[in-house]
Amino acid sequence: MTPPATTSDSGSVPGGTPALQLTDVRKVYRSGDDDIVALDHATMTVAAGEIVALLGPSGSGKTTLLSIAGGLLTPTEGTVVVNGKDISGYSSKQLTEFRRENVGFVFQSVNLVPFLTAEENLLVVDELGGGKGGKGARQRARQLLDELGLGKRTKNLPSQLSGGERQRVAIGRALFNGPALVLFDEPTSALDTKIGAQVMELISTEMKSRGTAAVIVTHDSRMTHYADRTVQIIDGRLESGQPVAHA
Amino acid sequence: MNLAITELRRQPSRFVVATVVLAFLAALLLILGGLLDGLYLGSTGAIRSQKADLIVYSSSARDSFLRSRITPEIRAAVEAVPGVTAVGGVGFTLLGAVVPGESDLADVAVAGYELAPNGVPAVPPPGSGYADARLEDAGANAGDVLLVGPAKTPITIIGFVDDTSYLQQGTIWVDLSTWRGVQNANRPDSTVGDDIVQVLVVRGGGSSLGSSIDAATAGATKTLTRSAAVLALPGVKQQESTFNQIIYSTLVVALAIVALFFSLLTLERTGLYGVLKAIGASSRRLFAGVVLQAVIVTIIAFALGSAVALVAAGLLPAKVPLDLIPSRFVFTGIALVVASVLGSAISLRRVTRIDPASAIGSAE
Repeated sequence: MTPPATTSDSGSVPGGTPALQLTDVRKVYRSGDDDIVALDHATMTVAAGEIVALLGPSGSGKTTLLSIAGGLLTPTEGTVVVNGKDISGYSSKQLTEFRRENVGFVFQSVNLVPFLTAEENLLVVDELGGGKGGKGARQRARQLLDELGLGKRTKNLPSQLSGGERQRVAIGRALFNGPALVLFDEPTSALDTKIGAQVMELISTEMKSRGTAAVIVTHDSRMTHYADRTVQIIDGRLESGQPVAHA
Repeated sequence: MNLAITELRRQPSRFVVATVVLAFLAALLLILGGLLDGLYLGSTGAIRSQKADLIVYSSSARDSFLRSRITPEIRAAVEAVPGVTAVGGVGFTLLGAVVPGESDLADVAVAGYELAPNGVPAVPPPGSGYADARLEDAGANAGDVLLVGPAKTPITIIGFVDDTSYLQQGTIWVDLSTWRGVQNANRPDSTVGDDIVQVLVVRGGGSSLGSSIDAATAGATKTLTRSAAVLALPGVKQQESTFNQIIYSTLVVALAIVALFFSLLTLERTGLYGVLKAIGASSRRLFAGVVLQAVIVTIIAFALGSAVALVAAGLLPAKVPLDLIPSRFVFTGIALVVASVLGSAISLRRVTRIDPASAIGSAE
């Protein structure tokens, strides 16, 4: 049997340990008697500090790719290496620990803990890791929020923040543990164009200043110029990516 | 910062309904338990207070003090059994008594004794007795002469003792000759002769002492331990079993309420738990938070319920046999906490099944 062709992005990869390496990854869901291929032999590499925009229509497999890259789903086939760690064979418990320590997530919709202040939403990450939210952790949370322009909103609850501010708190939470890779799931879809652009600008600046890699899933092609390159995904297959021309 | 406790502090309104319902159930449990304890203590004090290991009835008495008769010959046989260290006669007569200055008759149990029960002084002079505090509540004072029964047999009260009532009647502890006088004057259909008593209280060692006594009397006696004698009192076992069934059913209702409430709360939090799992929270940690919240809500509800029960007890007429004792609070508190842990455990499966991938929407 001829092995299926590998689909991959064609982005250039700088030297050093890549933040993310997907090799020949396949994800198949069973639906009755049918197999649904959500991701078809995808190969993709994201270099340290690189920002990749993942574009594709609904149902194309973007979310599945992001979930596998972040250790939320395990692939049916292939290998997933994040910051040098091969997580392909990790158990559910190992993946939980891995996510806590190695990956940041920024989700599309409401994702902050509603009864915690902005600062406490960042400290959740510390608490989940067994920390007690001590002085050092609080200092780091305040510093991050300050850098994200929320220095005066640290004691506000999510309900007291605007959509853009909430998303910035979520970015702070994703960065709190200093991950090598942050995964963004349509971070601007709930924001208007102006605020969305501000958030994307902020993401780009923060990722670059920290040397943190990011994969940003988006429908909005206007947001792609904040990324280093774009990767298309259609029907679970990665198409050739291209560098983004920055002004 | 603990997520579960912070949520309770910041969003207490979410837990009000469950807390109020559980508080009423806690109050109900305490009042039911208090009634059971009141009935039990009021019925059994005279027997519980006996400083005796065994109670010896005549075999035909079917474990009833009032039907039992022990003759001097049987007593001698019991006293001769190896291991028996002390033997005392006891007799009870249930009557009404006129208390000076009171229009209503007081219910009394005139009890003749030889070996002093716990809290009761040594045998008083003939014609006098130590009364249970229940009679003090009925208006009797030290020095009063109570006229007992239809024959109005006089007994002078020389002091009061606690927790010695018999079948909800205030006991008057007298010497055996006074008891026989009261019995024969007021119960002509069941008179007792000299040296006859109803039962013997026996002190002694050995697990087979009871059967040795019954063997020594050639089957003329039936010997029970003191605790068995308490349960053999009329109605005690039935009251216990009835009230306990109601109490356990109420606990099951409390468990179901906790299960339902936290199950719904977990369902409502599915999205949040998905996000928390995605950023590294384990199912175990999230479930522990649910259990912690259930336990805290239950403890607060129990405190409120206890206050309600105490207020209710203060408002009830004194004749209602409601006795809120510390051990009942301890039992009810522990039982409710156990019920809350078991109830919240229903959410375990739901928490475990939340997929962290759901945080990024359904996988395509």
